[in-house]
Amino acid sequence: MHLASSLLGSVSNFGSPQGVTKQDGWNHLLWNISFWFALPITLLVVCLIGYALFRYRERPGKERVPAQFQYHIPIEAAYTIIPLVVVAVIFGFMFNAENQQSKSPAPAAGNVLKITVDGFQWGWRFVYPNGHAEVGTADYTNINTNSDLPVLYLPANEPVQLHLVSLDVVHTFYVKDFLYNRDLIPGVDNNVNFTVKTPGIYQGQCNNICGEYHAYMRFLVQVMPADQYNQWYANQPACSVTTAGISGPPAPGTCDSQLSKGFQAGL
Amino acid sequence: MTLLEDRPQPPSEEHNPLLMDIVPGPRPAGLVKYITSTDHKQIGLNYLVTGLLAFVVAGIMALGMRTQLIVPNNHFITADVYNQLFTIHGTIMLFVFAGPFGFAGFGNYLVPLMIGAPDMAFPRFNNLSYWLYLGGFSLLMAGFLTNNGAAQFGWFGYAPLTEAIHSPGPGGDLWLVGIALTGFSGIFSAVNIITTIFTLRAPGMVMFRMPIFVWNILVTMFLVLLAFPVLTSAFALLWIDRHLGGNFFNTQKGGQPILWQNLFWFFGHPEVYIIALPYFGVVTEVLASMCRKPVFGYKGMIAATLSIGALSMGVWAHHMYTTGAVLLPFFAAMSLLIAVPTGIKFFNWIGTMWRGTIVLNTPLLFSIGFLIQFLMGGVTGVILAQPVLDFQLHNTYFVVAHFHYVIMGLVFGGLAGLYYWYPKMTGRMFDERWGKASFILLLIGFNLTFFPQHDLGLRGMPRRIETYNAGLGWNFLNELSSIGSYITGLGVVATVINLVKSYRSGPIAGDNPWDAQTLEWACSSPPPDHNFEALPPIRSERPVWDANHPDMLTKVGH
Repeated sequence: MHLASSLLGSVSNFGSPQGVTKQDGWNHLLWNISFWFALPITLLVVCLIGYALFRYRERPGKERVPAQFQYHIPIEAAYTIIPLVVVAVIFGFMFNAENQQSKSPAPAAGNVLKITVDGFQWGWRFVYPNGHAEVGTADYTNINTNSDLPVLYLPANEPVQLHLVSLDVVHTFYVKDFLYNRDLIPGVDNNVNFTVKTPGIYQGQCNNICGEYHAYMRFLVQVMPADQYNQWYANQPACSVTTAGISGPPAPGTCDSQLSKGFQAGL
Repeated sequence: MTLLEDRPQPPSEEHNPLLMDIVPGPRPAGLVKYITSTDHKQIGLNYLVTGLLAFVVAGIMALGMRTQLIVPNNHFITADVYNQLFTIHGTIMLFVFAGPFGFAGFGNYLVPLMIGAPDMAFPRFNNLSYWLYLGGFSLLMAGFLTNNGAAQFGWFGYAPLTEAIHSPGPGGDLWLVGIALTGFSGIFSAVNIITTIFTLRAPGMVMFRMPIFVWNILVTMFLVLLAFPVLTSAFALLWIDRHLGGNFFNTQKGGQPILWQNLFWFFGHPEVYIIALPYFGVVTEVLASMCRKPVFGYKGMIAATLSIGALSMGVWAHHMYTTGAVLLPFFAAMSLLIAVPTGIKFFNWIGTMWRGTIVLNTPLLFSIGFLIQFLMGGVTGVILAQPVLDFQLHNTYFVVAHFHYVIMGLVFGGLAGLYYWYPKMTGRMFDERWGKASFILLLIGFNLTFFPQHDLGLRGMPRRIETYNAGLGWNFLNELSSIGSYITGLGVVATVINLVKSYRSGPIAGDNPWDAQTLEWACSSPPPDHNFEALPPIRSERPVWDANHPDMLTKVGH
């Protein structure tokens, strides 16, 4: 019994990775439902094909010309109606999950942390409510170095809203462990909400072709317990800029634009 | 002058000239024939050979990309070249190979033969279609010769990356014009084939006696008429932006980049079915012939094709779930619904095999390969049709694996058709051993290439990246995938060797080597100009079978 349940546990996700946000439970649910339908149907079809190939193959002693039947209305009706029901059920689960997942944080959580995510060719800028910006681009000669990457600092177990802004072409904000993609499109206003449960460092990457060094448009997400995060945030002067891990004062004139962007998102 | 004349008497037997003798003038051969011919068979062959060449060329580009990705942090080719390769690989595979190979190659060759017509409705227009298509192919390739290289923004070229400021140089322009030319070629073919099917069917060939292949081509051609003009318009807008100071996709001047995505995918998703439906038809014909049975559920099959065509016009935004700018439930529902008619087709194919006498030769094996690969692509399609899961998997290698299973499934269908009609087209039989070797190599190579990519996508590898960090757990799977791609390459080489060798020295095939059922097998191999000297009576959707097996007609009822 114990063995069976642990076995079931290990296959019950069918390979879908574990996410680290509160929202990703819906992915597992849908992934599993899809597999519970898809596996038997796939197996059925493959077995029918395999059986037919073996059983009805041309061989000595088999009649050369078989029976010439063409229609069987009950069977045809069955394989029209049953798939309709299956996709209706999948759609029902999907519709519910999608509604639940896209719910914004409750208004009671008025102090949602709002961060502006700017994507540009080929790097990221994360602007915090006080105008502090984390900026970075990558080393285009060696993708194995992570030291230059921009870092998005987030508190754990706190609702976070990211305001996604593209400064030039279409980019996509993608963190594998969030099980989530969202595009940064000029002219489209995108806000996404997360609550990350597990502290840690996660890899992020642009996921839409955006020019020559698309592959290098990476970033890191560092999720810290709330008190550590608050300590970090308190140490970031307003309008300061950290570029590739090195802090410095803002270049003249940049803070205003950062602030306006930051406040645009934050207020 | 009398109002009614006596019906003219048919000329007596001994003075009945062959059609070949009536048509005057010298008959061009070789290169001149290739360039000038308005014969639908020659033009169909032109498309098939050019399409196969495009498949090989774009396949070599894929091998370049897989070699770049075989180890992390690789510098086999530069980012710049890598981006050109995947852009032109995708563009050529879709616009020059997969689509035209099916609807224009097989479509041109087979539609008039299958409905008992002497040629297409507009033979010279048909010739123009081919030359526009070849021009488009040449322009797409010519991008590599320009100083900035070919286009580098992916086959769906999302604005504003395609604007002159982000992608300067003639590479992008050649891409634009090249695709526009293949688009016009497709529209012209569509007009031609629809007219042919509606007006040139032989006496007795009513719509519900047309082979499934012809039905599928008909629906495909309507999809072309609905989809390609939208693409061409979008390209005109982009051209205006790039060269005439327009701002359709420039937010600074009030343009909307998202407009491009809507226009492109409004074309792009019907395009998937424009590519798929002809091969569905091919596989249907091959299965029926090789199982020696009528197509199971013939009318249900047509209904499924029609509903796939209708639904495909309403699913475009499932490529845009992650833009945050589309109505998710509607497009999810439509996308999931397409699984139903596709499922009907699968069960009809199995029904066709059921209790048949299945000849396990190369065309049949490739058809089975199609069924299995396409099934796999369909199942992952149902997963990706759900927005919540697409948010996770969008643009990762899971998507790459999904659509390669779909399209390589169709390639298996295309090769099934190529082998199946090879005796008709060349008059010679191909070599079974090379054919089977090619099938096994392709099956192993293809699955080794693309199955690991599902896992790569789940592990978070984005598509279109030129290289990757070594510490993300992607190394081994990429290695497998690259090795698989080389095996796939060998499989293609085996088919090419087979086709060339058999063309020179294959045994003479005869008119109907498969004991097939449809009208193209009623004329000689290869068919003469203007096709038929005489037609068998057409009393069902398989006149040749009825003529050859008068005691084994389709059993009526169920």
